[in-house]
Amino acid sequence: MTIDMSKYLGLFVSEATEHLEALGRDLVALEREGEAGAIDSMFRHAHSVKGMAASMGFEPVARLAHRVEDLVDAVRAAPDRLDRELVDVLLAASDTLMAQVRDVARGSAPQEAHALLEQLSARLRDVTGRAPLPTRVARTVVHLQAAASADAHARPREEVEPVRRAPSRWALKFRVAPACQVPGVRAFLVHRRLAALGEVSELRPALEDLKAGRIPDGLVSLRLETSSSEEAIRTSLRNVPEVELEVLKAVEAPPPAAPVQDAGRAAEAEPGRTVKVRTEHLDYFLDAVGELMLATARIREVGKALPEGMRPPLEEGVYRLHALVKDLHDKVMTVRMTPLSVITDRLPRAARDIARKRGREVDLVITGADIELDRAILDVLADPLLHLLRNCIDHGIESPEERQAARKAPRGRVSVSVRRQRDRVVLELEDDGRGMDAAGLKAAAVARGSLSAEAAARLSDREALLLCCLPGVSTARDVSDISGRGVGMDAVKRSVEGVGGTLEIDSEPGRGTRFTLRLPLTVAVVQLLLVAVGDEVYGLPIAKVVGAVEADLAVLSRSRETALLPHGTGLLPVHPLAGLVGMEEATVGGVRPFVVVEAESGKVALAVDRLLGQEEVVLKALSRPLDRVPGLSGVTILGSGRPVFILDVPRLLAA
Amino acid sequence: MAKRVLVVDDAIFMRNMIKDIFASGGFDVVGEAANGLEAVEKYRELRPDLTTMDIVMPFKSGIEATREILKQDASAVVIMCSALGQESLVMEAIEAGAADFIVKPFRAEDVLAVVKKVLGEA
Repeated sequence: MTIDMSKYLGLFVSEATEHLEALGRDLVALEREGEAGAIDSMFRHAHSVKGMAASMGFEPVARLAHRVEDLVDAVRAAPDRLDRELVDVLLAASDTLMAQVRDVARGSAPQEAHALLEQLSARLRDVTGRAPLPTRVARTVVHLQAAASADAHARPREEVEPVRRAPSRWALKFRVAPACQVPGVRAFLVHRRLAALGEVSELRPALEDLKAGRIPDGLVSLRLETSSSEEAIRTSLRNVPEVELEVLKAVEAPPPAAPVQDAGRAAEAEPGRTVKVRTEHLDYFLDAVGELMLATARIREVGKALPEGMRPPLEEGVYRLHALVKDLHDKVMTVRMTPLSVITDRLPRAARDIARKRGREVDLVITGADIELDRAILDVLADPLLHLLRNCIDHGIESPEERQAARKAPRGRVSVSVRRQRDRVVLELEDDGRGMDAAGLKAAAVARGSLSAEAAARLSDREALLLCCLPGVSTARDVSDISGRGVGMDAVKRSVEGVGGTLEIDSEPGRGTRFTLRLPLTVAVVQLLLVAVGDEVYGLPIAKVVGAVEADLAVLSRSRETALLPHGTGLLPVHPLAGLVGMEEATVGGVRPFVVVEAESGKVALAVDRLLGQEEVVLKALSRPLDRVPGLSGVTILGSGRPVFILDVPRLLAA
Repeated sequence: MAKRVLVVDDAIFMRNMIKDIFASGGFDVVGEAANGLEAVEKYRELRPDLTTMDIVMPFKSGIEATREILKQDASAVVIMCSALGQESLVMEAIEAGAADFIVKPFRAEDVLAVVKKVLGEA
């Protein structure tokens, strides 16, 4: 029975590469420092590569790695035989192995390194006085798709049974017709058809964007791994309307490796490598792309004023620009995605320290840390997460004695689990400690005057748990230097909500507590001008704000009922913001600020009571029924915790 | 031979319009249903070549009906009729196995183009 090993090819390439890189480093270290530990490490690397290559049926690789392993082993027994020439021949062998692995990655069969094998054998005989043993290689089926000419090398010498068509990889690109009314659904249908044939990967745009119709230029690209024939792929798309298959071509086995001339420089030239980018640059990119979007919208607006005949070429250009900017924006957002492990990696150490300090025994289990979020969210989340962990260990997990008395295992358990749920990331931090005291929290909140006794009585236990997020409310019996001062949970809640997330707490006395954070994948950051009308605060997107002026409403000239504010060389109609948002208009006279904003029909001046300043905030979409209120475009939570509506001035004026 | 069509929609207006479109395209509308329950029954009875299915209907939704029809007959060709703004429902229907969709308000030539394409006639 033969096993199709093709699916392990990617793993083989990446792991073998790592081992060979390490082997090269060890060789250099060995020569420079005469480090004895390096020999053991080299032996392991060569041994691992041999084993993997043999399992994959790559004889030339396995044989060469085996010879290296033998020679390293011989040197281990006779360190005095190690000299410059021996290091040279081992380095040459490690370079050649690297080149062979790259061949495999490119889809061609690795070449036998006859001369080098001979050199290694000679050195081995020289050191040990015996000849090398033959290398055993598994008979496997590994399909190397790219280079048919070299295929013969990789083919097993005997195939026990006929092999079914091996899955092959295809690169596909299709375009949804511009006239399609629901491009998202159309593309989803195609995706679904293809997914029925095999495995879809590298989908661009990502499935969520695609479903939402965010498809720049209507172009969708993906990789499909399938055992179906090219004809079958074409047929499955032939009867889909509004879709044009633009590219369908076979691609080589993953991961594709770039041709490399200099084997010794493989490490730098290998594809799929990452570079580190300063986070400020990422922020700058996002800001800049945001500005580009606004500028594009501005050009589009200006274009509307052009005479009919001149519009089409401009509109075409603007459309193209818009698609490019949108695409760029998506890319920037993708680049900003960072795995949660960036912030969870420090939790085990923190857990250990807190547990030691408080005499607790705790196991921390983290799962799903490879899930990615916008780094802006991670930045905000780092401290709250640490705080929650501290709370769990400090207040949740009991001392070992207490736990045993409660017939629990002496070691407590805290788990941090992360998972994707549609377009959100759910992070749960759960302990198996004593749980939270809902009644105690109610009493503490009432005692602090944060809540009336009647209101407290109306709260369910689950609602009451959230009282711990009120400033100064805590049921912790003693105030430690770790937590328990009631500052913190309010900050945790505010931070989570600030990035558009939610916090929930579930707890069962004696059984434990679970904090559930639901977070968006990305954030939308906007610049706001905050203005006050009466006691209310509203946000105006800076992009729409032209400027601010001060004047006395009473002395402004009027046209019919509307006051007119001199601005530049013209007069702008004045709209009191209070009236627009349905509040009583202040009758007090005197000098007051006006915000000049862009509206549908040109600039207008909004009369407000106070200008509170500019703030960069994270925009949250409104949910039902607030999304039905005309003139509101979103909501945000200020650093102070105050929710503020963001006004859509043109719609507000039209309402 | 003309292809046989089953038209499912809870609005008579829509059914009539869809029937006219199909008639103009040389199709044979063999049956109508006003809700999902009826649709499943009619399908069993008529075995049409093509079914157009409204999504939001009383008693049984078009998505549910599609699922049941495909359970009866995996080769059934069901085309969803949806309005703009129902994208997520249409995607749900596609996941349930719907072959394609058309978007209201309909234009005769668009509907016929989709249908012919889906049936492999274009």
